Amino acid sequence: MIHVKDLNIRLGIFRIKNVSLKVKKGEFLVLLGPTAAGKSVVLEAIAGLVPVQSGKIMVNNRDITFLKPEHRNISICYQDYNLFPHMNVQDNIRYGLRFKKDRNNPKYEKNFKELVKLLKLGNILERLPLNLSGGEQQRVSLSRGLIGNPDVLLLDEPLSALDPNIKTTIQEELKNIHETLHTTIIMVTHDFVEANYLAEKVAIINEGEIIEQGSSEEVFQKPTSIFGAQFMGIKNIFWIEDPEELSFFGLQKPAHIGIRPENIYVSQEPLSTDYHFKGTIGDIQNNQIFMEVKCCNAKREYSTYLTTNRFLELGLKKGQPIYFGFGKNYLIYFREKNEV
Amino acid sequence: MQKRFELIYIIAAITGFIILFFNIFPILNTFYWTDFETIKKTLVDREVFSSVWLSVKCASITTIVAFFLGIPLAYYLARHEFKLKNLIESLVDIPMVIPHTVAGICLLTVLSPRSPVGRFLEELGIETLGTEIGIILAMLFVSMPLLVDSARDAFKWVPTRMENVARSLGATQMQTFLGVTFVLSWRGILSGMIVTWARAISEFGAVIILAYHPMIAPTMIYERFTTYGMKYAVPANIILIVISIIIFVVLRLVSLGGKEKHDSR
Repeated sequence: MIHVKDLNIRLGIFRIKNVSLKVKKGEFLVLLGPTAAGKSVVLEAIAGLVPVQSGKIMVNNRDITFLKPEHRNISICYQDYNLFPHMNVQDNIRYGLRFKKDRNNPKYEKNFKELVKLLKLGNILERLPLNLSGGEQQRVSLSRGLIGNPDVLLLDEPLSALDPNIKTTIQEELKNIHETLHTTIIMVTHDFVEANYLAEKVAIINEGEIIEQGSSEEVFQKPTSIFGAQFMGIKNIFWIEDPEELSFFGLQKPAHIGIRPENIYVSQEPLSTDYHFKGTIGDIQNNQIFMEVKCCNAKREYSTYLTTNRFLELGLKKGQPIYFGFGKNYLIYFREKNEV
Repeated sequence: MQKRFELIYIIAAITGFIILFFNIFPILNTFYWTDFETIKKTLVDREVFSSVWLSVKCASITTIVAFFLGIPLAYYLARHEFKLKNLIESLVDIPMVIPHTVAGICLLTVLSPRSPVGRFLEELGIETLGTEIGIILAMLFVSMPLLVDSARDAFKWVPTRMENVARSLGATQMQTFLGVTFVLSWRGILSGMIVTWARAISEFGAVIILAYHPMIAPTMIYERFTTYGMKYAVPANIILIVISIIIFVVLRLVSLGGKEKHDSR
């Protein structure tokens, strides 16, 4: 288990403030946040590459806060692969073994064969990194990080430099690796879709602070912070203060509420969902995979996502009258003291 | 497709020709001032041979010393940002802006037996003035910045993240430096060493202040020129040019060979 406790780091004017994380052995944690939120700094601090001001980093009950990176048994892989250009694929993968005291242990050869098979590297073992595609380079980078049985594998935006189709493949392979090898993984990304697909646990970070953390489902479906909700793609976040609306949503005092666009049901017939409205269709945006349709009632404009088939089936047009609504369990109530 | 002649390329062609002409013509023209027989005689002239050899030897030792002294500092400068970094980089480069005879006199003030450093060295039995050590120190003073700057730039080309990966895989900082950073920046460092060597072998001003004797080739050529005139200076001149160019080309080929190998991956 990895336990990061009250981590404080100062890098120039940027600060990491009291970051605490808990990851169980074999768990996949995604640290999610916008650019310059400090997520890579946290990752590098866990790897021992950034000096820590205060706080503790424990791995399997061993305090590694002030250990040198080479003594931590924690591998890191970056988005730009960083394969050693003067070594072929095989030598890149085996690089870390030369520093292991038990490097002749057959378990490493077994790891090598397993990783080559798992990541389909058999045909490129003799090639130099310059002759590899981005996807191949990332596979080699992952194998290199995994061969020495690290206690934790750290992934710094491993998918963000890849083409969309390769990205999906590597994403699936990453999930497969985790399910097969049960390695503890902490991955950093700014993409909530990646996080939702891969993570068992998600922590959202912004301006050097953890905003919230929990299971992937919890954070994705019911984020507790407005920042987390916005970051997780929740477009419908409303400030409710009108007495009529307060009583409609069962609120005692003014508060923010949220609803995921895909959880809003749209129909041409009156609905019997817990909350339902009659309104008109506003702007329609074709996002290729789905349609974003704005549904407006007298008070608000709700973003909804519809599959293209459902959209065509309903035959929606701007200005057309429409019924829409959602179940009570989809409504998100946020922590207080947050602002949009 | 019709070829277009952009004005900037025409200007580049003209100025490029001027630069090449300015660089090459005086060197080639030297060959017309003598004949093959005189060069042959000069080649077996003991004084010429020993001064050329001294120049090559001292420049080579200077380059090796500059390498061992300059690489650690260059690496530190490439990898760290700190308050006085600009100042330190400027201090490293200062010898490049000081006229060389002035540099020689500055060194003399330190190495003279009247100065504490000079006295200390004398007590240790190390003679600097009028010795090969003096020549090497003068060469080192003027050429060291070139090595530090080239090596620093070469190290900067190796991503810090690549080193981070190596460290996370179990390599110590020294193992990372030797096995990854140095290997990948070797070509840039070699180029820096070539320039350092070239600068050292061409040094004259600082050397004559510290060590007129034993005579390096530029001093010998200068003496022949002032004492006997062009006729005696030119053959030795040609020998030094040819040797310098041969060594320069060989080292360049070594470094370019590495580059082609690297690029063909």
